[in-house]
Amino acid sequence: MSYRTHASRAEAFVLDHERTSWHDETLWFVRQKRDKAVYAVPEFQELRNLASAIKDHTLSQLDFYLEQFEAAALANGVRVHWAADAAEHNAIVLDIIRARGATRVVKSKSMLTEECHLNPYLIEHGLEVIDTDLGERIIQLRDEPPSHLVLPAIHLKKEDVGETFFKHLGTAEGLTDPQQLTEAARQHLRAKFLAGEVALTGVNFAIAETGSVVVCTNEGNADLGVNLAPVHIASMGIEKLIPRLQDLGVFTRLLARSATGQPVTTYTAHYTRPAEGREMHVIIVDNGRTKQLGRPDFRASLKCIRCGACMNTCPVYRRSGGHSYDFTVPGPIGSILSPNIDLKKHSTLPFASTLCGSCTDVCPVKIDIHTQLYKWRQIVAEANGLLVAKKLGMQFMGRLLASPAAFKLSGQLARRGLRLLPHALSHNQAVNAWAIARELPEPPKQSFRDWYAQQAPTPSA
Amino acid sequence: MKVALFVPCYVDQFYPQVGIATLQLLGKLGITAAYPPGQTCCGQPLANSGCERDALPIYRHFVETFQDYDAVVVPSGSCVYHVRKHFDKLEQTPAVQRVRANTVDLIDFIVDKLGITTLPGAYPHKVGLHLSCHGQRGLHQANESEVTPVRDGHLRRLLAGLDGIELTELDRNDECCGFGGTFCVSEAAISGRMGHDRVQDHLRNGTQVLTGGDMSCLMHLQGIVRRQKLPMKVLHAVEILNGIS
Amino acid sequence: MSSSRERILAAARANKPALMSLPPPSDFGGDASLARFSEVLASIGGTVVRLAARSELAATVQQLFPAARLVASALLTPTLVVDQQTPTDVLADVDLAVLAGEFGVAENGAVWLPEAQMLHRALPTVTQHLALVLDQRQLVATMHQAYARLPAGPGGYGLFIAGPSKTADIEQSLVIGAHGARSLVVLVY
Repeated sequence: MSYRTHASRAEAFVLDHERTSWHDETLWFVRQKRDKAVYAVPEFQELRNLASAIKDHTLSQLDFYLEQFEAAALANGVRVHWAADAAEHNAIVLDIIRARGATRVVKSKSMLTEECHLNPYLIEHGLEVIDTDLGERIIQLRDEPPSHLVLPAIHLKKEDVGETFFKHLGTAEGLTDPQQLTEAARQHLRAKFLAGEVALTGVNFAIAETGSVVVCTNEGNADLGVNLAPVHIASMGIEKLIPRLQDLGVFTRLLARSATGQPVTTYTAHYTRPAEGREMHVIIVDNGRTKQLGRPDFRASLKCIRCGACMNTCPVYRRSGGHSYDFTVPGPIGSILSPNIDLKKHSTLPFASTLCGSCTDVCPVKIDIHTQLYKWRQIVAEANGLLVAKKLGMQFMGRLLASPAAFKLSGQLARRGLRLLPHALSHNQAVNAWAIARELPEPPKQSFRDWYAQQAPTPSA
Repeated sequence: MKVALFVPCYVDQFYPQVGIATLQLLGKLGITAAYPPGQTCCGQPLANSGCERDALPIYRHFVETFQDYDAVVVPSGSCVYHVRKHFDKLEQTPAVQRVRANTVDLIDFIVDKLGITTLPGAYPHKVGLHLSCHGQRGLHQANESEVTPVRDGHLRRLLAGLDGIELTELDRNDECCGFGGTFCVSEAAISGRMGHDRVQDHLRNGTQVLTGGDMSCLMHLQGIVRRQKLPMKVLHAVEILNGIS
Repeated sequence: MSSSRERILAAARANKPALMSLPPPSDFGGDASLARFSEVLASIGGTVVRLAARSELAATVQQLFPAARLVASALLTPTLVVDQQTPTDVLADVDLAVLAGEFGVAENGAVWLPEAQMLHRALPTVTQHLALVLDQRQLVATMHQAYARLPAGPGGYGLFIAGPSKTADIEQSLVIGAHGARSLVVLVY
């Protein structure tokens, strides 16, 4: 089976020059807001160290904290479920909903449920599932996947949204004002909130010592959904745990500043016990995470708090769009998470980077993202995911570059070839990808080594 | 101090004048650098493509070539970063450790090892400095915008010290140019677009001479400048620093 | 319990790295002034209104929200009584909720609202407008200090609320009033 590459999808995206500029500038604007917020906190780098250390510690004691969390949650009257994979997670959700005889589900943002493809599963089983985050609702109406962790509809322009709302919500044709579009969504979704029977949420942080789950939103949609519906189901990956309530001080200071440049999200909700007469469920999901935990080079990716800063800063993401990654989590973090899930399908993602390292430098929990990209490249190549021609070429290069004589000769031939070939041939874009956007260097007559040999017949030591 | 010059493979073949300027500038600063003729490459092109194992013979050859020197000076932060960070795949013999520690970027060598923070001379042009990601974020040669708004670094200071020079203030001081080694051909469309945007930032803000410490980024940017026939000269910083003194 | 539970725990146990230490709780000090709190809250779309005395609350609310028809509150005479049993269709009509915040956080303009002060868990988000009443002596500088004020935990349900509900999901254009309260006023006494 062959898969399309990131490069081919990115090439299609970048074809629209103006839209690419707009996408790049919109996300760069978010990066700048992040910078401003970060510069204003003198201890920000120290907070990153602390967050990293807290997550490292938690992962090193993950079994202990999972059990501690479960015990505390159970004592709080929360029902705790465990799911080994996406299928089990989805089945648990369906069981809970069916047990209540419910049909109307309101959902706030959860990358885990995206990862598990929960929506199509529930819809297939006859349920109404409404995404209530504005961006999520927009892409749900358009039947598209999210293109960003925290800005799911960032690939769309207001004209696109206006068209979608005209078609699905009955707004005026040609309406493009974000304020009015948002108001239309508010009215539309308010009816859904009021009628919701089951509320699904993700989890930003799970507190082991108190058994609480913490959900951060700006819109208030998680709280509105949960507190109006009789049943709350919170889905969390095992990596969402932190040991103490006090640790939230570190993470809440980092999350929104890194994500959007806000000092904190509008709502930081702590759900510990269900309200009287209501149900609260927490589903703890593995789905490949314990496997990633067992990979020393890659386990740090489990520290991710899903802020999206690495996307906003990534010069490749900004110019190729989230859909070019074809994975639930796009961008640099997605490129190190996805090979763990399906190495073959996602084999080009670790190469969708210049390894510039900006992702690593903005990461609030200090995941060595660009180093992991480099390491995944080695694994992909070893697994022969790399095109055979390229691989053979590399072995040849390896031998060539270890041999001074062969190296010298090939250099001479290359330079001579470049000088002699007509421009149209040396810059033929079908065979020379370099030449699509750039000229080749003008080949000098003499290499440095040739020059040096003439200058210094007896090299000094 | 026994100093060797390592001339990166593509510089050797395409930009000999950068190697020459490096040798000459070091000479003016009292350093006679040897050029071991057996040198080839640091192995980065293979390793970044995922073929680190195929690069191991190159690593070993690099270590053998340079193990007897107190400093291996390179006019490219990217190669230095690769030797320092990724030669961890070799057995860490004393020779390997020495070579990893002693391999140094030219500008760092001038500032940190030789203690030279200003060079005399005039360069009355508007100069745009392109920071190489490996030099900046990898070797910490310059402040990072991810951490601080203060734009500072060794090369920026050296250049700013020249008489008559005006440094371009870019909209995005340290955005990657999109070269990225084999990225420039495997993701040619994005690479080209990134390079285009980088060049436009310089153009918009008045750069006449585009420079930097890493010829690989500059080779890519120069290719775009020439393709688009833009009024901008592209030089490695050592060509400027050697030319003025 | 389920076998998935055992399998996940066993895999976590088998695959976890060697123990890394947990850093002690941190506190970086910082500015806990009302000026700072007010400045940050204004920057995120909220407003601070100072009451000369707590007794001025009703008059100030009347002045700030003259159009509010259904007002839910335990701090002044409500026009709508809300408690934990209030049905959804009644909650849906609340124009204004006036609730007691426990403390504020100067670095981000957040106010801690515990369940006990909410009347109904949905009230802070279902109301069209929200006013939180805060004692100005109850300000801390940062979230570290904020969580240090909750030694007994966050309660059954608790919220930090920082400004009105907002979204920037359409082209990064900031819009106030997404799904939760359209405005937030912190009445400080």
